[in-house]
Amino acid sequence: MSHSRGWPLPRKRRKAPPPVPLEDYDRAYLNADEWAFVMAATARLIPSDGDGPGAIETRVPVFIDLQLAGDYGAAGDWYMEGPHDPSAEPARGWQSPLNPAEVYRQAIPAFDAWCEETHGEIFAKLSPEQQDASLTSLQKGDVGLPSELRDFFTILLANTKEGYFADPIYGGNHGMQSWVYIGFPGARAAYRAWPERHNVKYPLGPVSISGERA
Amino acid sequence: MKTFLRIVAGLVVLGGIALLAFIFVPVQRTQPVAELPADWQPEPGQGEYVLNASDCVACHTSDEGGTLAGGKAIASPMGTIWSTNITPDPETGIGNWSFDDFRGAMIDGVEPDGTHLYPAMPYENYRLMTEEDMRALYDYLMTEVQPVKNEVEETALSFPFNLRFGIRAWNWLALTHGPGFTPAEVSDVQDRGQYLVEGPGHCAACHSPRSPFMSQDGVTVDDANFLAGGVINGWNAPALRGEDSDLNRWTVSETAAYLATGRNAHSTANGEMGLVVEHSLQKLTDEDNIAMAAFLKGLDGDAVEVPETLAPRAGSIEVPEADKAGEADTAMLIDSDPDMPLGARLYTDNCIGCHFATGKGAPEIFPELQGNRLVNGSETKPLISVILNGAEVASTAKRPMTLRMQGYADRLSDEEVAELATWLRGAWGNDAPAISAADVAAVRASAASH
Repeated sequence: MSHSRGWPLPRKRRKAPPPVPLEDYDRAYLNADEWAFVMAATARLIPSDGDGPGAIETRVPVFIDLQLAGDYGAAGDWYMEGPHDPSAEPARGWQSPLNPAEVYRQAIPAFDAWCEETHGEIFAKLSPEQQDASLTSLQKGDVGLPSELRDFFTILLANTKEGYFADPIYGGNHGMQSWVYIGFPGARAAYRAWPERHNVKYPLGPVSISGERA
Repeated sequence: MKTFLRIVAGLVVLGGIALLAFIFVPVQRTQPVAELPADWQPEPGQGEYVLNASDCVACHTSDEGGTLAGGKAIASPMGTIWSTNITPDPETGIGNWSFDDFRGAMIDGVEPDGTHLYPAMPYENYRLMTEEDMRALYDYLMTEVQPVKNEVEETALSFPFNLRFGIRAWNWLALTHGPGFTPAEVSDVQDRGQYLVEGPGHCAACHSPRSPFMSQDGVTVDDANFLAGGVINGWNAPALRGEDSDLNRWTVSETAAYLATGRNAHSTANGEMGLVVEHSLQKLTDEDNIAMAAFLKGLDGDAVEVPETLAPRAGSIEVPEADKAGEADTAMLIDSDPDMPLGARLYTDNCIGCHFATGKGAPEIFPELQGNRLVNGSETKPLISVILNGAEVASTAKRPMTLRMQGYADRLSDEEVAELATWLRGAWGNDAPAISAADVAAVRASAASH
């Protein structure tokens, strides 16, 4: 059985064409200053100099930009009526009248102002060590953000992880790098025979929603 | 010499007269096969049942026109044929037709004014129907169907098919059987099935091959090629008989379930057959679907075990394991070696969650791909189209869940679909020729233009 085709297809890999470099990326929500912050902050939360890929190679900032431009940013399907109680337990859910896009928009300049006051430069221009120290202060609540911005660090960290591990169709996890790194084979739904194969490595790379394979 | 010329002239004149007669002398309608008593009345519901069994809606109801008001475009090799309005509207429908007029259309394919119907109207098959059923259908159309005023588009085929009188000659070739039904007298159940399959069901219109004159090559059980498989609009209408046919492998219950619900342990009804199930077969009684299944099962002379009812299976259904023919490919898919062929990899990445490594799918939900007629068909458009655009098995009264397969047009390139389809046509013992990326591109383009 043979058939003709235009060109041989890569059997093991099919990747999306190379994307625009992050510096030329056409932003959907973030402005230039916010973009610089998100690039710098995510690069510290999942740095590139460790074992696996970092937030920058996996294009986490793109994921965050697209999410803030969409339903998530607008809290499209959240209950947003009050009362909002900033002192409530985190388990009580969203306690800000602002949606996530508004939180990013108001928190970034406030945090940059704190960085400038404390370290002499806005966050994006600090050294990695100063950035880590600033993020630690932000996480601990030492930055003095107004109460409606109190969850900024929490959502920034969560969004960074989401952008790292979500399907590439949402803009992050470029090339399924994080999945390859942790050995997640994607939503192939064909593992029925594998739970009983103890100590045998599952050999196939992941597949994405759009059909990329690695 | 003079004598010779006189003879030639005489022959020309005779020929001319014959031609004029052929064109202008009205067709004699065939006499009815039975005379009904003057006080004959159909059983309550009989006419509507015959309408459903005959699937009139399939052609005579369009999306816009209203029920049975015609105006649906029927694709034919000769061009588009527009179906007619069969509601009792006197101006645009059949409101002025007598029962003799109606019978003339059903068994001779002629309208009251002598105009020949195009044989897209399956009078080749309907002429086998009983006088009682035709009369019940007529009464139903005249008294219970809402008249709809709907002037339908005139069918305008190109020359020579626009010369409708030519169908008169075609009818001499095509209508060598009937009218009326002749049971094979195998058993009451199978004879009932034979009637429904041969007559109202007009299964042969798709499932029999076509003669060189485009008539059905096999209209009744006496014909060698009856239901031996045909091709319609780029779809295979599979053989319903013979050693290799699905129906030879399926039990009578499984075939009856397929007819009644569009799904069974092996397969699902797609394309035209899906519409037949939706519009016609699901509305028939279980007894009749069992009767048709039993008749088809016995078509090649085998003894037939007739189930008493079409009871749904109780409890969960075992997912079938790989068989001998499918063992090797099943093991290869499960082992998931990255060096597997690209078609197998694409199957693993896209299809295996539902159709499984065995290619046997899940009974009554996901069809078997091993031995699947659509996968292995001589016509490749259906397989490519299902991969690109997905498929849907309609909700039926007994099995209300709509089964839906997503399309992969956005996920797979033409080359990838070709690799996948070609691999499917050779996997688990399947044996059908390859599909090219150009084949896929053509189907993708035709879907985009709709």
